Amino acid sequence: MLMAKYSIEVKNLVKEYGDNRVVDDISFSVKEGEIFGILGPNGVGKTTTLEMIETMLPIDGGTALVLGIDVSKKPRDVKFLIGVQTQHPAFMEKVTLIEQIEQMASAYGIRPDAQALLSDVGLVSKADEFVEDLSGGQKQRFSVAVALAHNPKVLFMDEPTTGLDPQARHNMWEMIAKIKKRGVTVVLTTHYMEEAEVLCDRVAIMDQGKIVAIDTPDNLIKSLLSSGFKKRQIVEKANLEDVVLMLTGRYLRD
Amino acid sequence: MNIRKELLPVIVIARVATRRAFRDKFALFFNIVFPLIFLALFGTLFGNNVRWQIRVALINQSKTQVATKYTSSVNNFKLFRMVPGVKDLEDARDKMTTGEVDATIVLPDSFGKIGSDGKTSGTANVYYTENGAQAARALKAVLVSQFEGLNATISQSNGTPYKVIGIPPEDNGTARFDYTFAGLVGFSIIVLGIFGPVTYFPDLKKNGVLRRLHTTPLRVWQLFVPSVVSYAIIGLVSVTIQYLAAVVFFGLKVQGNILQLALFILYGIISILGIGLALGGWARNQQQSAPLGNIIVFPIIFMSGTFFPRFYMPDYLQASSSYLPLTPIIDGIRLITTESKSLTDLGPQLMIMTFWTILVYILAFKYFRWE
Repeated sequence: MLMAKYSIEVKNLVKEYGDNRVVDDISFSVKEGEIFGILGPNGVGKTTTLEMIETMLPIDGGTALVLGIDVSKKPRDVKFLIGVQTQHPAFMEKVTLIEQIEQMASAYGIRPDAQALLSDVGLVSKADEFVEDLSGGQKQRFSVAVALAHNPKVLFMDEPTTGLDPQARHNMWEMIAKIKKRGVTVVLTTHYMEEAEVLCDRVAIMDQGKIVAIDTPDNLIKSLLSSGFKKRQIVEKANLEDVVLMLTGRYLRD
Repeated sequence: MNIRKELLPVIVIARVATRRAFRDKFALFFNIVFPLIFLALFGTLFGNNVRWQIRVALINQSKTQVATKYTSSVNNFKLFRMVPGVKDLEDARDKMTTGEVDATIVLPDSFGKIGSDGKTSGTANVYYTENGAQAARALKAVLVSQFEGLNATISQSNGTPYKVIGIPPEDNGTARFDYTFAGLVGFSIIVLGIFGPVTYFPDLKKNGVLRRLHTTPLRVWQLFVPSVVSYAIIGLVSVTIQYLAAVVFFGLKVQGNILQLALFILYGIISILGIGLALGGWARNQQQSAPLGNIIVFPIIFMSGTFFPRFYMPDYLQASSSYLPLTPIIDGIRLITTESKSLTDLGPQLMIMTFWTILVYILAFKYFRWE
C-alpha cells in the first residue's frame, strides 16, 4: 500500500446553509509536513472549510481525506490523528492547566507528560493556575500545548495569532515552526499576510466560498508582479511593527 | 480501543469535575449551604410544633349512651378541628406519624357503663406522639374541664368518675420534623440534580468548551458518566451534612440501615440528574434551559411533598403526584429514615424511579448537543 503522500486531500468540498453555498466546490491537497495557510477576508468560508475537515461540521458535498481516512465515513478515526486549536481558546474555569491537559489527553486514552508540554510553551510556572488567570498570549500558547497533548499528525490552527501583541505573535510563529520540525502537518487560517509569508509553505486564497489561488507565497507574489502589478506606495524597508519590536524587544511579556 | 483507554477519560474527567465543583463557591453555596438554610427554617418551625388549631381524632369503642352523646357533641369544640374518617387506633397512629392528626381521644369499651355503685363512669385516653405532646396537654386540659361538667351532671357525687389519661408514645415515635426532613433532602437533590447541569452544560457550550471537547474522540457517555459521578459525590456530601445537622440540632432519629439509605439516595440523585442532563445537554444556552428547568422543577417541588406533605392535597392530586420523579425518592428516604424500611420494602418506589431513570437518560443521550 502506498504511504499517503498528502496529509489532507479535499475534493469538490461543499457546505450549504439553505441556498447559501458557504464552501463552493473546493479542492486542494496538503503535503505531509508542510505548513498550509488558508487566507481571505472574513466570511469567505475559511473556518467552515477547516471545521469540515476537523469533523466538526457535516460535509454536504465532496470528500475530505485526512491521512487517507474519509472524514465523513470515519470521523472518530480522524479525530485521533488531528489536533485542533480553535479560534478562541475554550477551557473550563477553575481547572488548573495540568488538569486541563490531563483531561483533554484522556479523551484520546492517553496519560500525557503535562509538565513537558507546558515547558514547550513556556508555561511550567503556571501549571497549577487556572486558565482564566492567563493573559491572551498565554492562553493561545496553552491552547497549542493542549492540541499537541496526544501527538497529532495534523494540527489545525484557526487564526492562532489574532489579538496577540507583536511579541506574542512572533513567539507563536517560532512555536509553529518548531511544530513543523517535528514533522507535524499544520493547516492554519490567518488575516495576517506577513504571518502567511513567514510561516506557510503554500497558501490557498479563498473568496466567496471558492479557492481563487493556491501556490507558495513567493510564486503568488511573482505571478502578481509579472502581470504588471505595481504597489502605489514605495515599500519601506521596515514597518511600524519592526519599530515597536526594536524599541520594546522581542521577549515575551507574560 | 481497549476498555482501560475508554474508561480513562471517565476517571480523569470525574476527578477534575469533582475538584472543580468544590472550588466553585457559588455552586457550593447552592448545593450545600442553601439546603441547610431550609433545614434550619423548617426545623425551627416544625420542631416547636407551632399550630393554631389542634387536629384531633376521636375513636369511640363504647356503645353507651354517654359515649354516643359525647361523640356527637365533639364537633362543637372550637379549639380543635376534628379529623373525620379515622377508623381505629392504628389508623390514628399512622396519621399522627404523618402529622395529619396531633392527638387522638379514645373512648374505651367501658366508657359510660354503669358500675357496681349504679353510676356511670369512664376514662378517656388521649394518645399522642412526641411531636404532639404539647397538643395532647392542651387537649387533656379541655377534656378535664368538659368532664367536670359531665361529672357534675351525671354522677351527682363529689368523686370524679370521668377521667382523662394521657398515653405517651410507646415507640420512638416520628416527630413532624422527621417527616418533613425527607422532603427537604428531596429538595436538595432536585436543586443539585436539575439546576446543576441546567446551568453547567449551557455554560460549557457558551464558552466553546464542549465544542473543543467535540474535536476529541470523546463520546457522550464519557462526558455524562463523569458528570454523574461528580454530582453524586457532591450530592452525598450535601445530604450527609443535612443528616448530621438534623440529628444534632433537631433530634432526627435515623431508624433504618444507613448503607441502604445511602444507596437509595445515590440512586435518587442519579435518577434526578438524568433530567438535568437531558435539559442541559439539549439546550443551546441558558435562555433555553433556565425557564424550562423552572417549569419542570417548581411543580415537582410543590407536588412531590418537599416542603408540605402530600396528604394536604386533594385526592386526585395525591394519586397523580405519586408518579412524579421526586415523589418516590422522598417517600423512600422517609420510609428508610423514620420507619426502618429496607430496600426490599420499597418495590413501588424503586419501580417508578427506574421508569423515570430509563426515560430521562434515553432523552439525555438522544437530544444531547455539543454546541
